[in-house]
Amino acid sequence: MNARAVAPRTAAAVLVSVLFLIPLWWVVASSFRPRNTAFAYTSPFGWEALIPVGGDVSNYSALFNGYFLRAVGNSLFVAAVTVVLGLALSVFAAFALSVLRFRGRELVFGLVVLSFLIPFDAIAIPMSGQFRDWGLSNSYLGLILPGLANGFAIFVLRQFFLGIPRELLEAARIDGLGWGRILVQVYLPLCRPALVGAGLMLFLSQWQAYVWPLLIGTDSEHHLAPIALANLRRQLEVDFGQIFAGSVVLTLVPGLLLLAFQRHFTESLAATGIKD
Amino acid sequence: MSGPVSMSDTRTSTIPAGTSAGERRGRTRRAAGPARPKRIRSRQLATALLYLSPALLAIVFLRLAPAVSAVVASFQESGLTGGSGWAGLENYRFLFGDPGFVNTIVVTVLFNLVVNPATVVLSLGLALLLSQRLPAAGLWRALVFAPAAVPVAVSGVIWSVVYQPDGLANGLLTALGLPEQPFLTSAGQAPPSVMVTVLWVAVGYWMIFLIAGLQDIPRTYYEAAQIDGASAWQRFRYVTLPLLRRPLAFVLVANTVGNFLIFAPIQILTNGGPEGATNLIMYDIYQQAYRIGDVNLAQAEVVLLMLVMLVVVGVQFRLLGSKEGR
Amino acid sequence: MNVHEGTVRRPAATRRAGRLAVAGVAVIALAACGGGTEAGGGDGEDDGGTVTLQFIHPEVAGSFDPLIEAYEASHPGVRIEATNVPFDQLQSTLQSRLSQGDSSIDVYTVDPSRIPGIVAREQLLDISDLMDQAEEATIPSSLEPNVVDGKLWSLPIWTSEQYLYYNPTLLEQAGITPPSKDPAQRWTWEQVVEAARQAQAAGAEHGLLIEQINRYYQLQPLAESLGGGPGLSGDDLLTPDLTNDGWVRAMTWFRDIHESGVAPRGIAPDQMGPLFAAGKAAFYVGGPWVIPGWKAENAAFGIAPHPYFADGEPATPTDSWSWGISPHSEHVEEAKEFLEWAALTTEGSLATIEKIFIPPTNAEAFDEYMGRLDASVPGVTEGAGDLMLHELENTAVHRPPSLGYIQFEEMMVNVFEDIRNGSDPEERLSKAEEELESAFSRLR
Repeated sequence: MNARAVAPRTAAAVLVSVLFLIPLWWVVASSFRPRNTAFAYTSPFGWEALIPVGGDVSNYSALFNGYFLRAVGNSLFVAAVTVVLGLALSVFAAFALSVLRFRGRELVFGLVVLSFLIPFDAIAIPMSGQFRDWGLSNSYLGLILPGLANGFAIFVLRQFFLGIPRELLEAARIDGLGWGRILVQVYLPLCRPALVGAGLMLFLSQWQAYVWPLLIGTDSEHHLAPIALANLRRQLEVDFGQIFAGSVVLTLVPGLLLLAFQRHFTESLAATGIKD
Repeated sequence: MSGPVSMSDTRTSTIPAGTSAGERRGRTRRAAGPARPKRIRSRQLATALLYLSPALLAIVFLRLAPAVSAVVASFQESGLTGGSGWAGLENYRFLFGDPGFVNTIVVTVLFNLVVNPATVVLSLGLALLLSQRLPAAGLWRALVFAPAAVPVAVSGVIWSVVYQPDGLANGLLTALGLPEQPFLTSAGQAPPSVMVTVLWVAVGYWMIFLIAGLQDIPRTYYEAAQIDGASAWQRFRYVTLPLLRRPLAFVLVANTVGNFLIFAPIQILTNGGPEGATNLIMYDIYQQAYRIGDVNLAQAEVVLLMLVMLVVVGVQFRLLGSKEGR
Repeated sequence: MNVHEGTVRRPAATRRAGRLAVAGVAVIALAACGGGTEAGGGDGEDDGGTVTLQFIHPEVAGSFDPLIEAYEASHPGVRIEATNVPFDQLQSTLQSRLSQGDSSIDVYTVDPSRIPGIVAREQLLDISDLMDQAEEATIPSSLEPNVVDGKLWSLPIWTSEQYLYYNPTLLEQAGITPPSKDPAQRWTWEQVVEAARQAQAAGAEHGLLIEQINRYYQLQPLAESLGGGPGLSGDDLLTPDLTNDGWVRAMTWFRDIHESGVAPRGIAPDQMGPLFAAGKAAFYVGGPWVIPGWKAENAAFGIAPHPYFADGEPATPTDSWSWGISPHSEHVEEAKEFLEWAALTTEGSLATIEKIFIPPTNAEAFDEYMGRLDASVPGVTEGAGDLMLHELENTAVHRPPSLGYIQFEEMMVNVFEDIRNGSDPEERLSKAEEELESAFSRLR
């Protein structure tokens, strides 16, 4: 790329980034405005809308009572267990569906694809009755289980596994490695981006859980963060300051994770040195 | 472990995401060819069963079985008045005779016809821009990617206040000397406004996948094209696009599946209005099942939705697969 | 991702390595979850013979703490576990849980107009044996919506009425004499809109805010005032009747106040109260529950009777939550006793309004409430109690007890929003009739 093109392209990059950032930035800035005072700066628009001079942290201190924090903790726990177990299930399944050869593989893969075409919220009603019969309402297990069946995570991992040169597999077989070792020692190290991607997907699916926890009926001890956020909205009264602050907290957690893993996420096979 | 596996598959690819059904089948056939000893295959079957069973159990019990019961329920009488017998196709017949549902189908299809290509095009454009060596490229990438961290429901809340009459959008428009807009309260502007909120979260996310794909295209291809005197457009058309097909296919399929199931933004932003302009099918299903309580009707809608998605995703797989075969 | 890194270093036999990893993680994780699983299902009986009643409601968490504390103190052996579900999700959550036969709900809040539909779905327990007692203890007409087919299905806890609130500062600024509290001098909607316009001309941002701007509860009185009826007709109230003159005129007025900017578009019900409290609107139509919050914020407000149309009759919204018992409850006797205490005893009834300022339906508690209402803001709220009583006795209109009310109410939200946003009232109402015909055909 010649030097002449850098300036306009950088300008374009800055412009696009700012456009993406503004709504988020505004919410963060407004979370420091008590009650509903944030709107005083958007109509008419003033720079104070984006820089909360004179604001305070009252929204956050109001939020950080036991209930909201506990809900955030619950969400973290449920999401973390789902990521660990879900990835374990998905990695093995994806390996079987991409590397191993057996009769019926296409059929099983078809079932996996079918499973993520099924809208979960729509089948949640009959399932919630089943969960109650199993005595899983009002338990962490009841919240975690549905998140484990993530066909999409399997799909992503399988696509990634398929992209790994078979020469590596053959070499490993010649070295006498078993399947478990091939998976763990050959495939997994090469698949960080996909693992991170699938892990985030599992995490976000639970971090956003809303309809399901309501359906299986959870007491306030087991409430998840999105429900705690919704509970900030009352029937006829809204405190946007607190809603903004809650939204920031709910965004911050996956945001930090994404930031931490962004490198892995963008890292492609080209960087692993096995190419060409 | 003994038994070297000789593979003639030289078409190994280093591009991470996305493959085609056609190619998949081709590989399997080659691999499972008659030259292979049966013993190895059956041993692989045992391993495969072991590896698959936890995930399969989860998928069967937590997805497929409830889905089957949804299909069964769609052929049963509505429980609204206490009935529970077989209804045959009655629920489906009702849906197709209901002007509201016909509108829902039209709105859902139109929405997806716009939003899915838009996501792919925008993600690709941004991937091309932000994968270049620009000053602080990582920062711009991170900023565009940031909305992907926003939970769907939270993004709905954020945009509902952005679009509010005294919210950020109108504030900025006024500051720029432009007239205020009705956004969500106008049947014309509501669908694009909802699309913007969906794109805001999705574009950065898929862009990352495409950047990963772009980085896997060997530099030498571009150098060779440049030596041949290919223009920037030609390099894009004949080098980038073909080599990016698998990630693109992946993004298109994954994104389509997600967008057919959009629900939270609608509930938070528009409740399906104005005039049903944003009444996407998942929202309608939620209304029927949870608010009206006509679960059987909702399940019939779910069955139709799944059929449509199967067809769309199948066609996408096939289209992208057949191109690759050439 | 440490799972995988952990297994990489594991020296065990290859194939087993992965298997163990999965199994190990699963066991640890499931054991960790196990800590919270004991409180499952509908089994509310502890070792000591204590019965736990599950109570679902949409109020802010802790709203019923005073009630529960008082009840548990006087009823050893019974524990009340109150769970709040966000208001927007209440109907849907109850609907799907009850349709599944969920026995972990004992007592739940019911919107009285939905009772016929809920009864048809067999989601309420017949409590007719409390009928006589209930008639005696509650204020007139509040029991009515809870009776379907001659049977009692739930007990009214609260009722409601609406006032026309005004901002005295903004009215003075525009040189307008505020409306009086006397129902005989009730303002018409025409007067309100005219005054609202003048107030806006004099600097008010909004002229008129209507609290629950897209809900049937709030807007039914507009059509009723013009003789349009509830919008449903026929013996079973399953015939849509929205294109009559009263409805079309009421909705045309409704469209016009938004078209002309007297009332704002795009603002949700829960934002209306804060806007008025911030001094941004001349008039506000809403219930008495806003008073404590406005008082706490030192908001300027005055109270007047709910308006009516010049060539129509006064009509005002009414009713509030009832509480009922799930037929799947395993503790029916205890649940009944709790319900009886909360709704029919003065002590219990007063405990329900300790944290929420809404009129209770228990007759004696209602008298007490009127006193509190009058005394809430000196110089402003005196006489508000009498006004409420007058409205309850003379102008209150119940919602139609139709089997199809749930469909009707859900659909009307969109109708009201569309008309508010500028849809042609007559066209939209006749489209709504079509949609309702279709939806009601599911009920026959």
